[in-house]
Amino acid sequence: MSGLGWGLKSLGRHRLRTALSIAGIAVSAAMLLDMVMLSGGIEKSFAELLLAKGYQIRLTPKGTLPFDTDATLSGATELVTSIRRMPGIAAAGAVLGASLYGRRRDSLITLFGYGIQPEAQALYTVLSGGDLDPRDSIGVLLSLPAARVLQAQVGDTVTLVGRLDPQVVTAAVGRKVIVRGLVRWVYDYRDQPSVGTVLPVMQSLAGKTAGDQASLLMVRASEDTAAPAVAKTLRQRFPQVEVSSVADLVREFKQRLVYFRQLSYILGSMSLIVTVLLIATLLTITVNERLGEIATLRAIGISRATVVREVLLQGVSLTVVGSVLGILLGLVTARYLDSILTSFPGLPAAFSFFVPRRESLIRAALVLFLTGSLAALYPAWLASRAAIAAVLRAEAA
Amino acid sequence: MSPPVLVARDLRKDYPMYGQAVHALRGVSLEIAAGEYVAVVGPSGSGKSTLLQLIGGIDSPTSGTVEILGTVLQSLSDRELTRLRLTRLGFIFQRFHLLPVLTAQENVELPMAEAGVPREQRRARALELLGYVGLEHRARHRATQLSGGEMQRVAIARALANRPALLLADEPTGELDAATGHEILELFRQLNRDGTTLVVVTHDDRLAEQADRIIHMLDGHIVIPERAESSAVHGLPASTT
Amino acid sequence: MTTLARHLGALLFLLPAFPGPAMAQVAEVAVERQLARELGLSVGDTVRLGPRPDTTGTLMRVSAIYEPRADPAEIAKREHHLRMHLPELAALLGSPDRVDRLSIGLKPGISADSASTVLNRSAYGFRAYPSASIAAESSQTFRVVSRFHRAIAVITIVASAVFVLCIMLLKVEERRLDAAVMRFVGVRRRTIFGALLLEAILVAALGCLLGTGLAYLAGAATNAYYRRFFDTVLTFSVITPDIVWFSVALSLVLGAVAGALAAWRLVQTRPLVLWGRG
Repeated sequence: MSGLGWGLKSLGRHRLRTALSIAGIAVSAAMLLDMVMLSGGIEKSFAELLLAKGYQIRLTPKGTLPFDTDATLSGATELVTSIRRMPGIAAAGAVLGASLYGRRRDSLITLFGYGIQPEAQALYTVLSGGDLDPRDSIGVLLSLPAARVLQAQVGDTVTLVGRLDPQVVTAAVGRKVIVRGLVRWVYDYRDQPSVGTVLPVMQSLAGKTAGDQASLLMVRASEDTAAPAVAKTLRQRFPQVEVSSVADLVREFKQRLVYFRQLSYILGSMSLIVTVLLIATLLTITVNERLGEIATLRAIGISRATVVREVLLQGVSLTVVGSVLGILLGLVTARYLDSILTSFPGLPAAFSFFVPRRESLIRAALVLFLTGSLAALYPAWLASRAAIAAVLRAEAA
Repeated sequence: MSPPVLVARDLRKDYPMYGQAVHALRGVSLEIAAGEYVAVVGPSGSGKSTLLQLIGGIDSPTSGTVEILGTVLQSLSDRELTRLRLTRLGFIFQRFHLLPVLTAQENVELPMAEAGVPREQRRARALELLGYVGLEHRARHRATQLSGGEMQRVAIARALANRPALLLADEPTGELDAATGHEILELFRQLNRDGTTLVVVTHDDRLAEQADRIIHMLDGHIVIPERAESSAVHGLPASTT
Repeated sequence: MTTLARHLGALLFLLPAFPGPAMAQVAEVAVERQLARELGLSVGDTVRLGPRPDTTGTLMRVSAIYEPRADPAEIAKREHHLRMHLPELAALLGSPDRVDRLSIGLKPGISADSASTVLNRSAYGFRAYPSASIAAESSQTFRVVSRFHRAIAVITIVASAVFVLCIMLLKVEERRLDAAVMRFVGVRRRTIFGALLLEAILVAALGCLLGTGLAYLAGAATNAYYRRFFDTVLTFSVITPDIVWFSVALSLVLGAVAGALAAWRLVQTRPLVLWGRG
């Protein structure tokens, strides 16, 4: 059975109408794709960020998340040493985050400091120059924004100042350090001026030497699949410390951004409703306009199934063309929306809300295809139910 | 004598209208033999088109039966009825009702495509039929690019696509001027000479005059089923039967 | 053992309580309602608070349960807070006479900006800020959310505009035979255009009414849901008169423009073409 594609060809009969319908579907499809990306992108992007260097577990002060508060862990070095000895652990390193200042001529520039153990770090990638040696007490790594504000390059000496006394505006600790390298800090927000030294130096600058304090420990299990078991062991071994796997952190993060997830579901649903309404309305009106044609076709022996198929084909065609355009448009609007949301203060620059992935595209396309097909069902049913004699009588009148 | 192509017995059709029943047909019976050319005439509202729709299986009677080539339409399912219309009947309408987005050739091919005729075969037959009605040169033109007379001829070619046993025409010249109507008239005469059984509902006296039999209808009844002087029926060329 | 969020610079741990000094000597702490409900605390209960999980902590008596000031910046964090007298907290942390900030209330008639300037000129080592500027700085997050909402709104408006135009076109084209007959009998294009435009505006107006009602319902549902979800009294959705007027005006304009375009297209077409014969 073949309708010779009269359903499809009918779309070309009213070009403006068809073009507008496709435009409407495209915009809805774009919105749907963006919401699909948003709903899944947040946690995927965050998980990727956390696993950028393969460290699956974080240890933080009880009840806190990494860098969420100023609270610190005591006895960091001893803690790291005992963790490194545990079976199933590939690497462990302590990190201290602190506010400090860099001296540029007569002024003090606010900086964020990372105290690290370079032999086991997951915080940066060297862009130029070299890395710190674990025993390098006079070396510093700068982020590009830090290098810019301090007007320093690899090899230059900079002065870092810590424990500023607010009463007399003097620093208790100052230290000249040599820039070993320029790095990209994985968790920095955009334009964050960050510096990194070995842990003892930063502890000294931040006044956290007493108690050997660190903000968090990062742990890498030998096998990714063993990470949950390792986390469990660490919880049992160190009950006074908060042990979080990447899954735990992602879950917490999702909870904090639950609004966006819910918004994505609501807006995604609305997009589908608009698509359904548009296709159903267009096809219903088209069928009503062409009842005479349809009645004639039925009169000359064209089956209901053929009529239904041709109307469905119209709906599916509109959906497919609109969806393809919509997906392209959605990728563009996603970039724009992402640029808005990633300007959240304190959000790592490497993080994305809208992550274009194959599965997102496929999911959006499938949902659209099904929706468009369903939307065409009612008009197709209408067309198949056309009362031949009554319509022909009305046409003749 | 061959069995009749069509037998209609005591057909009645009532329509509800503004809470009352309109009796469009009030017990009509007739038989049409193979190769006959029957004209159904009468004033507006006499039930002519209703009769045509009932015998064509487009509508169902309130009571009575219609038999086409021995098959009682009322015993068929909707799908079977549709199939019968596709393979055994041909329809021609006052307003042509071609699909405007298809070409003349595609419009003629449409019933054959529905019947599952292979593409090459149906293309060839479509061109042949268009040739029969004198429009082979317009095969690739869209229906909207054809004149009224041309459209009606394409509609006739479409009606002949699956070699129907019975051709039903409802006011085929109703939308045409006199000259074009004459062309259609000639075509119908040719069709009948070639062996096609025709039932034509018409106000056109010229169409009625060339029929073998004229059925007059009034208020849902057959009034005077006249038999006109008819010429001998010739067999259709093999390619059009 | 439960950890509490920072308040005035302290991360504290709520430790198991056991008998200690006489109640008269026990320091007092006020606990926020959500924490009290979670831990089953009532006024008069004793708790132990400490700066680290491995300390004994200091015994304190719950003297009040309070409703926290709803802070949109904190709402997603789901942290718990409590309040105590400053000297007791400072002693607990081992850093007496040390605070994060001072809050200053000005006498009527004195502007916060001028007071800040005077303080910054004369004080050592700290900076004074008008509260409004702190609020502006700390509301960056919400400005980002506002921008995001605005972007979504623009996309939605574009989609709506296309949808409205498409539907208007379809509905007007449905009436082409009527329009053709009217032209045949001598009705002017202007009259037909005006009638269709008026109809489009009426439909848009009805749609506005319905949409406004739906918006209020949706806003109420949003507030009800998120208040329950976050256990807060914050308002999440506010429909101001300005928003209503803007939405109504935009909808009417979109509807009118769509109707006008569709009507113009119809009246520009020759009657015979509309009739299907041209």
